[in-house]
Amino acid sequence: MQNKPAVFFAILLSLLLSACAGTQNRHTDPVNDPWEGLNRKTYAFNDGLDKAIVRPVAVAYDKVMPDPAKRGVGNFFRNLDAPVTYFNQLFQGKIGQSGATLARFFINSTIGLLGFFDVATKWGIPYYNEDLGQTLATWGIKKSPYLVLPFLGPSSGRDGIGRLGDSFLHPVGRAIHKRGVWGYWIFRGIDTRARYLDQDADLREAYDPYVLMRDVWLQNREYQIYDGNPPMADYDLYLEESYPEPESESGTEKPESSAE
Amino acid sequence: MKSLSIKILLLYICAIGLVFDAKAEGDDPVSMVINTTDGIFSEVNDNLEAYQANPADLQALVRSDLLPILDLHYSARLILGRAGRGIEKDKVDAFAEAMINLLVSRYADSLLQFRSTEQLWVMPQRGELNEKLTRVRTRVRLPQGGEAPVDYAFHKTPEGWKAFDIMVEGISYVTTYRNQIMPEVQAKGIDSVIERLNSGEMKLAD
Repeated sequence: MQNKPAVFFAILLSLLLSACAGTQNRHTDPVNDPWEGLNRKTYAFNDGLDKAIVRPVAVAYDKVMPDPAKRGVGNFFRNLDAPVTYFNQLFQGKIGQSGATLARFFINSTIGLLGFFDVATKWGIPYYNEDLGQTLATWGIKKSPYLVLPFLGPSSGRDGIGRLGDSFLHPVGRAIHKRGVWGYWIFRGIDTRARYLDQDADLREAYDPYVLMRDVWLQNREYQIYDGNPPMADYDLYLEESYPEPESESGTEKPESSAE
Repeated sequence: MKSLSIKILLLYICAIGLVFDAKAEGDDPVSMVINTTDGIFSEVNDNLEAYQANPADLQALVRSDLLPILDLHYSARLILGRAGRGIEKDKVDAFAEAMINLLVSRYADSLLQFRSTEQLWVMPQRGELNEKLTRVRTRVRLPQGGEAPVDYAFHKTPEGWKAFDIMVEGISYVTTYRNQIMPEVQAKGIDSVIERLNSGEMKLAD
């Protein structure tokens, strides 16, 4: 019965363990990405899968579905995440906000016809997004190494575990653990992928697509964890590493000096 | 993850299509965000056809209105980081200039596409203004519904307050460009990067 999450967990665990071994390649960000060597391999695997299967399917889906239908499907998936947000708001002590999430869930599931219509937003009920990874962060695991999950993409050690835990709070996640309702997640994955088609050019043309994906994910994740008020970048550090101010150019540094 | 092109598009949106109840007074960062975006928008809105016919004029408008509140040479320093060490000053200036030109032309292009109806709110300022680093937080209402958070990092220069970084959904323009451009400069040299920027390909902002 429970073998599917067990398999997932085994993959995750083996990733974590093997990560400790294969870290000798590039180190573009040793602080946030100590497992870069392994992550780049997983990224390459995901990218190959994306080019071969996922993206073509997402492109077809995007072409076939009319915009209102796409919006409805997005609303439907988002509505089913509400229980995950609700419980994690409770875990984080955000009792007032959790009431809003519960109200959203009931309104959209009923009047909103199983969540296809986001009636709650029209009525001015705020939308929140919480998950177990964010809860663990507020409980003290502020930093966690970046981890690219096979099939699922950017994550971290903390958020990988969080995803697994959240699957027990998710209404369809629970059904999977019992019966294996994989179609839902595949459909959802295609829907999600289709939303990022516009950004493919950025990644394709980036100097280092892996680093771009990582930086965007890490910064956006931090933003979610701090509920929209994250600490700012360490500009002082950027400046320290920077070249001297034009006025104070002393000419002591040679071109090709030992950067790094 | 939403990617950078969306982010950058959003930046454009916040400068356009803004509706404000009241004009802000003064030269503090909050008023500057409001007045500048408002000024550019009404100018474009009033003379849209002329600007569509002649995009070069629009670029000139953006340059004259927007650049005064930006400290892009400072941004360029932060982005180049240690890759800028040992590079002659005129090369660094050329790099900053190339980035400015590209951003201005992208910005002007998108001004013509996004118009009116969007709204921007400036969030209440927390604490007092820090001359080294002050964050102005705004929310932009998106055409397809929902809103996007756009924050600006300001610092005080001898010429007054200037913005040097923009964060959309927490993703910093400076940090993200820095991690792409620094290694590129180290690998290929500043000349090739300047050339690429001048050729109009801003890899991150397509």
